[in-house]
Amino acid sequence: MDLGLQGKKAIVVGGARGIGFAVAEVLAREGCDIALSARGEDSVKDAVASLSRYGTKVIGKPVNVRKADEYKEWLAWAIEALDGVDVVIPLTSAGSGIGSDKYWSNAFETDVMGPVRAVEAAIPHMTEQGSGSIVLVATTSALEAMGGPQAYNAMKASLITYGKQLALAHGKDGIRVNVVSPGPVEFEGGNWDMIKGTMEKFYASQLRQQPMGRLGKPEEIARAIVFLASEAASWCSGSHLVVDGGFTNRTHF
Amino acid sequence: MWDTARMDVKRVVDVIRVDPETCTTRTPVEKAPDPELGTEVIPAARYYSEEFMKLEWERIWTKVWLLGGRADDIPEPGDYICTDIGKESVLIVRQHDGSLRAFPNVCLHRGNRLRPEGLGNAEQFRCMYHHWTYGLDGAIERLPDLCTFQQGGPPGMTLPSLPCTQWNSFVWFSLNPDVEPFDDYIAPLKEHLEPYHPERMAWKRDVTVEWDCNWKASVDAFNETYHVQGIHPQLLWYLDDVNVQIDCYERHNRYLIPFATISPRVAMPSQIPPAIDEIMRNAGMDPAEYEGRISDIRRDVQLFKRKHGASQGKDYSALNDDQLTDDYHYMIFPNLALNVHADDVLMFRQRPHATDPNKMLYDVWVFELVPQGEEWPERVKHRRFKHGDRSIGQVLDQDAYNLPTVQLGMKSDSFPGLWIGEQELRIRHFHKVLDDYIYGPGGKSPDDI
Repeated sequence: MDLGLQGKKAIVVGGARGIGFAVAEVLAREGCDIALSARGEDSVKDAVASLSRYGTKVIGKPVNVRKADEYKEWLAWAIEALDGVDVVIPLTSAGSGIGSDKYWSNAFETDVMGPVRAVEAAIPHMTEQGSGSIVLVATTSALEAMGGPQAYNAMKASLITYGKQLALAHGKDGIRVNVVSPGPVEFEGGNWDMIKGTMEKFYASQLRQQPMGRLGKPEEIARAIVFLASEAASWCSGSHLVVDGGFTNRTHF
Repeated sequence: MWDTARMDVKRVVDVIRVDPETCTTRTPVEKAPDPELGTEVIPAARYYSEEFMKLEWERIWTKVWLLGGRADDIPEPGDYICTDIGKESVLIVRQHDGSLRAFPNVCLHRGNRLRPEGLGNAEQFRCMYHHWTYGLDGAIERLPDLCTFQQGGPPGMTLPSLPCTQWNSFVWFSLNPDVEPFDDYIAPLKEHLEPYHPERMAWKRDVTVEWDCNWKASVDAFNETYHVQGIHPQLLWYLDDVNVQIDCYERHNRYLIPFATISPRVAMPSQIPPAIDEIMRNAGMDPAEYEGRISDIRRDVQLFKRKHGASQGKDYSALNDDQLTDDYHYMIFPNLALNVHADDVLMFRQRPHATDPNKMLYDVWVFELVPQGEEWPERVKHRRFKHGDRSIGQVLDQDAYNLPTVQLGMKSDSFPGLWIGEQELRIRHFHKVLDDYIYGPGGKSPDDI
């Protein structure tokens, strides 16, 4: 199956590590030019250097998504440097946290406004060219209890609603919008890597709830995201795909 | 110093440390030159041999200064600490003039113990058997029917006096009447430890556990950070077990472990680990507000505490910046391990069993800084139990877990002794000091255990 991504231009916000890096890597391998961001300059450099081996144009610049002006400038820079945009995948997250009001504003600025601002920067270009694909990344923690009631879960949930309504509004312009909700994913330096080391019992209890007896890998989420982003998914829009190895208990009718 | 890049690490970390050139506080920070202690096996027999245990008693326990207790437990005349060491028991008593005296906890009549172990207050120490009665100074004040003792009362009509002193909120004693001056013995640690002002800290935990191992196995367990990757995986997201500065002095030693940081053995996480989150909260920071990188947290906690400590009633002025986060871990020969921190002290006193080299007493003492203006908390109660009967917290449970099987394995014909690496230099240093006490300086021969 040809994904039809050759020569496409993709923006990956938060593309230096974890699922974001895996997404960028699959896109690069499929022939996309990529602009990626991360907080740290070193992280961006390392990611760009690593992805350049696939031979497409890979550029990056550090940005703090929480700083609206700086972030909007970054988005404008990315679109200009790529000379257009076909795919937008914003992944940067403030992560979880309980016990401070600030977690709510952090999650709002990063997990909600991060995607919103990326979408708003891309839509005019996509509308003009009559095509484009956006994938928002939520979480299974939006669907079922995980880690206690907190901003991360609730803010991520809003993306599922937002994604569907974007799809309804922009389908006429040839823009598809989909949402992927990953289950627990483990990679070196990721949260579940840390939880495995610091909260062994909790980690083990999560594994026991996993039908396949393991957590996900970043590339397993990335392949689902990239499929939805690609031409191969040309009739998929407004969909919400849970990629969790069967972890969530609810039935998706 | 070992080459951290070649160890089992994921990253090479360059730790920011206080510069000895510009450090103006008292606790020295410079690296002491490593002693040349060779690579010999440390004989296993010394962990279970009854003969060696006897040598330790004769040449160490009855010769050195030992920790008796906490000075603020005995502020008033007649307050006393009764503490056991091996087969001996000692009374350390506050005198009417505020000074301290120590004497053996034994009635000179028929040998009865005068008091059970623990704290108390007495006007006199009256033996429960025939009511021989001793004053706070150990003098016999009443000996019923003295006239029936043809030989008179025991020499001088007093309990023998033992050397004792008070230093840095703790009371110390020796079973050796001719022990060297305490200041000479404790050197050079006075300037190291006094800046922590333990007198501003109050009891938080007081626990004794009967551990099923030789006391030295416990000393060894806290004298290296190599075991962190083995038994404390959770601490890899809390401290740097690889970039550790080891300093060996004459008989004592220490290591400095950066806290509030991520071990090079694991990948840098993107989210603040729970234990570091707690360090930040305890310092008065809101981790949710933190904008910096996780690798900058240690330094930022130091700066934050430096800036806000005084307003929180915490006077950190005598400490350097590293001391505001890190674990300065001291071993005071022969049997004390102290994790000293700006806000607390977690210390272990490791005592030999009276008769069995396979057993020991593990005392856990925790003290916490009481901010100025806050009420001094009530003294915690002492608890005592057996190895594994109750949890003493996740980290110490992990430390305790292997010790009984270490003690068993020591006796294997296939185990000549401890195969010690550079990260365990303090273990080698401890055993060298031990050797010098047992066999005389440099007197240990290859056949000695």
